[in-house]
Amino acid sequence: MSPQPQAAVGAPLSRVDGRLKVTGKAQYAAEFDADGAVHAVIVDASIGRGRIISLDARDAEQHPGVLRVISHRNAPKLPYRDNSGSNNMPGRRLRVFQDDKVLFHGQPVAVVIATTLEAAQHGASLVKVRYDAKKPSTDLHEAEPDKPTDYARGDAKAGLRNAPVRLDLTYRLGRNHHNPMEPHATIARWDGNKVTVWDKTQWVVGTRDEIAAVFDLPADAVRVINPFVGGGFGSGLRCWPHTIVAALAAREVKRPVKLVLSRKQMYFGTGFRPSYEYRLRLGSDRRGRLSAATHRIDSETSSYETFTEGVMAPGQMLYSMPNVSQAYRTVPLDVNTPIWMRGPGFASASFVIESAMDELAHKLGVDPIELRRRNEPSEDEAKNLPWSTRRLRECYTVGAREFGWDRRNPKPRSTRDGDWLIGLGMAAGVYDPGRYPAQAQARLHADGTAVVDAATTDMGPGTYTSQTQVAADALGLTMRAVTFRLGDSLYPQTGPHGGSSTMASVGSAVLDACNQVRRQAIKLAVEDRESPLYGVPADDVVVRGGRLHVQGNPARGETYKSLLARHDRSHLEARGNYAGPPTPERDSYAAYNATFAEVAVDATLGLVRVRRMLGVYDAGRIISPKLAESQAFGGIVGGIGTALLEHTVTDHRDGRIVNANLADYLVPVNADVPEVRAIYLDGEDNSGNALGVKGIGEVVQVGVAAAIGNAVFNATGRRIRQLPITAEALL
Amino acid sequence: MSSELPDSAVSPPSGAGESSSGPSRRTVIATGVAVGGVVVAGGTFLAGAEEATATGAAPSSRVSLTVNGTRRTVTVDNRTSLLDLLREHFDLIGSKKGCNAGACGACTVLVDGQRVNSCLTLAVRLEGAEVTTIEGLADGDRLHPLQQAFVEQDAFQCGYCTPGQIMSGVGCIKEGHTGSPEEIREWMSGNICRCGCYVKIVRALEQTAGRK
Repeated sequence: MSPQPQAAVGAPLSRVDGRLKVTGKAQYAAEFDADGAVHAVIVDASIGRGRIISLDARDAEQHPGVLRVISHRNAPKLPYRDNSGSNNMPGRRLRVFQDDKVLFHGQPVAVVIATTLEAAQHGASLVKVRYDAKKPSTDLHEAEPDKPTDYARGDAKAGLRNAPVRLDLTYRLGRNHHNPMEPHATIARWDGNKVTVWDKTQWVVGTRDEIAAVFDLPADAVRVINPFVGGGFGSGLRCWPHTIVAALAAREVKRPVKLVLSRKQMYFGTGFRPSYEYRLRLGSDRRGRLSAATHRIDSETSSYETFTEGVMAPGQMLYSMPNVSQAYRTVPLDVNTPIWMRGPGFASASFVIESAMDELAHKLGVDPIELRRRNEPSEDEAKNLPWSTRRLRECYTVGAREFGWDRRNPKPRSTRDGDWLIGLGMAAGVYDPGRYPAQAQARLHADGTAVVDAATTDMGPGTYTSQTQVAADALGLTMRAVTFRLGDSLYPQTGPHGGSSTMASVGSAVLDACNQVRRQAIKLAVEDRESPLYGVPADDVVVRGGRLHVQGNPARGETYKSLLARHDRSHLEARGNYAGPPTPERDSYAAYNATFAEVAVDATLGLVRVRRMLGVYDAGRIISPKLAESQAFGGIVGGIGTALLEHTVTDHRDGRIVNANLADYLVPVNADVPEVRAIYLDGEDNSGNALGVKGIGEVVQVGVAAAIGNAVFNATGRRIRQLPITAEALL
Repeated sequence: MSSELPDSAVSPPSGAGESSSGPSRRTVIATGVAVGGVVVAGGTFLAGAEEATATGAAPSSRVSLTVNGTRRTVTVDNRTSLLDLLREHFDLIGSKKGCNAGACGACTVLVDGQRVNSCLTLAVRLEGAEVTTIEGLADGDRLHPLQQAFVEQDAFQCGYCTPGQIMSGVGCIKEGHTGSPEEIREWMSGNICRCGCYVKIVRALEQTAGRK
């Protein structure tokens, strides 16, 4: 951090954009007033794989209000320049309306553009498409995997063979959809060869680059705007086909076009957390000291792109053991491409590993927390690096105390409350946060207010607020005097808003920009004979409330306002930079948690109800405690969904998702979430960023599902090695 | 309080393409009747979908309703939901479309004091109805106590479900379903918050209902 007094950072402030959100004035992607905008609705393929034989758009075209129907029959050829950025996956990305092939159920086959939404919707239903349908391959457990990505240390086979205690466990994890409340939406408007796109994205820069690549435009011909994002959880990390469809449609009809995905279209128009089959073999001695593990990890990807995530990492570094082997295989299916979802990879792996640790603890008669303590590594055994900070032991201690872990009866099915079986469970969590190069611009105006810009996003964690806190302290201004702007690709460039990277990356750039501006002002003052600060060493000057003064002597100083006025400066400004983490890595940097759950399971019906949850986090410095608490609650609630409710179900006969709506794809509602508590350990991690943060958005969901599953086992004695854990599975 | 506005500029779609085909055949709407708080479409008289299509206009109706204290009369495509009327025609973007199927509650508004899913309510059914949206809740610059409580409790993150949560919360408090956190959770379970702010939403309702 800077030598500045910390007034805003660490204070439990309310959101700076709260008023906009509670009055309905925050504008999301579909809500911008592009003059004369018409509406577009996509027609989805109704087969899982095959070819379009014919597409009859006559009825649609004749429907009142319909302006145009675009399909592969009449779409212009799009350049689709190579773009290895923008979070595009290895492979060949889907090219909208460029041929007659259908790669998955729901793929866009046409778009209907009309003067009203009603006409576009009805028009889309009038497009008649005939297909040559093939049986799609959509079942992870039936299809042929790609070649594995391997990891090995020691000799896992021998280690397992020689282990006195062995477990061989296979877990199946259902597919999850992010389902942010705001459906993905795009408004596109062309002005000559330039296009402005209001788009629901977590990365305006990536979306800009992808649009530029698809239409073969220079990057500066594309501007992407999104000041508010109604949730993302990863679904906005890349530019999806519908955004291209909207831009194409707008170019064709020569009017701004608004395209909003229906909730149903969200299930195949954007990505998902892939389903997994994960076989874990563990070997330990009789005291629970781990000696070996083998991991065979299979997960879904599409037939046209290879999606991978950090699912291998926890198995390499969460616990100490000499022998590890891993094989991670993607399985190409006739589905659309997955995308990272909250706690990507780590959340899936942690369910398996943390459930298995609970199984081992039970088998050995060792307390689950004690088992984890016995296997706590002293360094990262995969990277052979020391930890920057790793305070899992404290997470266990604080969590056990605050949750009342000592009240847990280790014997399953031994605690009852009427018809309900009561159980307590816990799990550890880890997430390796992203850190990406980022820039920010800070400008201090003559009136003593400041504006700071960066092309980042706020999908809900509170980027507006927390970056304002960082900027306010570094500039020595009140929160009120600082405006932080984001969500415009014209602002200084940043990486994606995901992977818990934003505060470490963008925050560091903001801090740098604001520190520079403050130092410029201090320099002006101490070199100015007319300033009361003349001759004071620059390092001895701090700024508070817009007033520069000698540290420890508040009486001697002057305001930014008077300083800039005297120097006839309209503003001071600076570009801040964050270069990314040091390479090569000097230490192993990750955020950790211990999550605790108490559940009640109806003894006869198998119904699972969460009663209490607690998360204890080792996440470095917390910039904005009030908002950080909300994020933790959100991660826990997301984990409750993964554990007990969420499962995208595909009909393997035709590749159709049968529960592509919020009535059948169950997510937690208010009644599913009683008591939730979050504790962030005080501290900071100065390994890779000046703010001392580790990021919180992802780690808060990692381990939650395992904690709940372990509580279900403690309640019932039943080990459900699948997600979600449903009543049917428990009966 | 309510002011009478002339016919809004909302027009049904003109014919295919951008041709203006002159005055198209309009359907006739009879008097809207509200019975016991349930708004009944007052014998909307359709010329028949076939015929309307043939003449180049979608079936539409005139409807007069009060939105946030302002009386508005519009001719609206019969397929238009109250939510789309608010968002696409009245530029009241505060009511959100999350699922368009009554499953998420993001579109919750008050119709004659009752909370309803505006996505499942056809606009033409609302003759004479009083609609309150999130934009009509604050008193000038003074936030409604529940809006203020949402800010103070940080009862939201992305903010997309928030207008629906608040409108639903206003209804919940008015209905008297705030006797306990359990009761609030049950009666607020028609509004999904994917960011998972439920605990704080309950706190905001408790605070506003004066039980804290």
